[in-house]
Amino acid sequence: MTGQTEIGGGIKVVGVNHHTAPLDVRERFAHGAHEVPRALARVMAAGASGGVLLSTCNRTEFYLVADDEPALEAVWSLLGERLPVAPAGGAREYGYIARDRDAVRHLYRVSAGLDSVILGESQIQGQVREAWEASRAQAGPVLHRLFQSALYVGSRVRTETGLGMGTASAASAGVAVAGKIFGDLAGRTALILGAGDMAELAATCLSDQGVQITLVANRTQERARAIAERLGARAVSLDEAWPHFATTDIALCSTAAPHAVVTWERVGTVIGGGARRGRPLCILDLAVPRDVDPALAQLENVFLYDVDDLQTVAAQATARRRDEIPAAERIVEEETDLFWAWYGGLGVVPAIKELRQRMDDLRAAELERALRHLGHLSPEDRARVEQLSQTLLNKFLHQPTIAIKTAAEEGRGYGLLEALRRLFGMEPPA
Amino acid sequence: MQLASERLLRGSAVSFFTAPLATGLVGFALLSGLIPSAEAIGARNIWFVLHVALSVLGLALMALAFIAAALYLLQFRELKARRFGQVFQLFPPLERLDQLNRFALVAGFPALTLGVLLALGYGAQFSGGLHVAKAQVVWGIFTWVVLGWAVWVRVVRHWAGRRAALASIAGFGAVLLVYVALKLTQPGAERFL
Repeated sequence: MTGQTEIGGGIKVVGVNHHTAPLDVRERFAHGAHEVPRALARVMAAGASGGVLLSTCNRTEFYLVADDEPALEAVWSLLGERLPVAPAGGAREYGYIARDRDAVRHLYRVSAGLDSVILGESQIQGQVREAWEASRAQAGPVLHRLFQSALYVGSRVRTETGLGMGTASAASAGVAVAGKIFGDLAGRTALILGAGDMAELAATCLSDQGVQITLVANRTQERARAIAERLGARAVSLDEAWPHFATTDIALCSTAAPHAVVTWERVGTVIGGGARRGRPLCILDLAVPRDVDPALAQLENVFLYDVDDLQTVAAQATARRRDEIPAAERIVEEETDLFWAWYGGLGVVPAIKELRQRMDDLRAAELERALRHLGHLSPEDRARVEQLSQTLLNKFLHQPTIAIKTAAEEGRGYGLLEALRRLFGMEPPA
Repeated sequence: MQLASERLLRGSAVSFFTAPLATGLVGFALLSGLIPSAEAIGARNIWFVLHVALSVLGLALMALAFIAAALYLLQFRELKARRFGQVFQLFPPLERLDQLNRFALVAGFPALTLGVLLALGYGAQFSGGLHVAKAQVVWGIFTWVVLGWAVWVRVVRHWAGRRAALASIAGFGAVLLVYVALKLTQPGAERFL
């Protein structure tokens, strides 16, 4: 991704996603909601005037309004500190930067689901909204407008195109994988670890297939109870759930724990023991960071799938959606144009007004000085000279004014305004 | 065999294997000179016809169990390795293959056993007694024992999944191995396996 205009503060996105970083790196870069304000504060202290942090299992992206490179460096530094062993080039080796119009287009594509592993998935829109809300205090007016419009673009794409048709989420992919192990899922049992939106969505998908949800285990019981009640299950603590790995057919894990909670020590003996008699156990690990110790997959009867696996399966179901990409991209381009026109025009009117005022002040001062030496002129002649100065000023300013307005309409106004301010020594806007 | 698999698997990839297997076996039989002889069959009595019918049915079901087991192992490998290609897409679910394998073994082995018993009875009654020293009898009993072991571990020891699939493959593998060995060492004897 390359920038288009890079004079002064512009919109930038700095981050990593599933195209550029493997799961274990993305896991380390993922920020919980509680970490967002501190991370943004650090980046803003390095020169950004606004910031929003979008962190999902597939991406960690800082959307910034930043003047210069230090803010971008702050992001790489912040991410790099999360790597146990950073590569030679630091965290930037896993990431990308998009600037200005490209950054706007990028967010619109993200919100529309065009940049998702599962093309057109709708979960990302909720995540964009959550990111915006979590960063509300630090976003600033430009990013507020940008994220607001990104949500609108996401809705427009899903309403006006077929990009969101069918079921192609990680949750539905989990059902498909479980179906390849068990065949008919009706009558199978599942336990759920975690009580977040993803856990609930996946549990609902399983329940819709006739799977009996027996337990919902969570660190905090209140939310688990609400989901368990809806699915006809029992809410328990995590520790109470481990023995049930001996009997369940499916274990769906989606906690917000920062490390693996389903470990060999906790369930290895239970799963590998005689109680299961080698019956298969399908573990769907939808959490990032992963909830399940990958070593458990060594047990012969364990079929363990993480988010990457399920997204691979889901991606296969998105072939139909690909036909809708051109229509969705058209909407993204339209809306990018609109935003960029707005953004470019943000400072145009006051800047032109200021420029004209300055020039007019100069004209008036010079006219007054000249007329002092031309005392023999009649009032009519003085009026003609003043008219001449006014006409000349208008003619001189006509072309620059038109050029700036046109550039603003075409989304190039920001750069020209900066040039104007520098050439004529105008103060930058507050 | 195809009907049984279609019935249990509701449209499956089994035909990918059963069709070439059936074609291959018929072709092999024709090339080996095993041409049906109406006169020879007509000369036999009902015991013999029942023996042949049950033996063929038993072996066909064993072949079906073998195919289901092979498909199981392939699908198992893909699922464990988290590969989601053609095998994952086209092959039936593991448990359905396991059920088919169990059905074929449990139905096929009694048929085969009955076929063997009829052969023994036929031999004792009409062919001048049992010739247990004959190679085809010895090796026939050997394959029956191996197949019986596969059924025993499945039914009595409750083996399922991969282990059961491997046992099933071992059973049918023994049949094929003995057939080829007899064909090479004692031409003609394999007909009576």
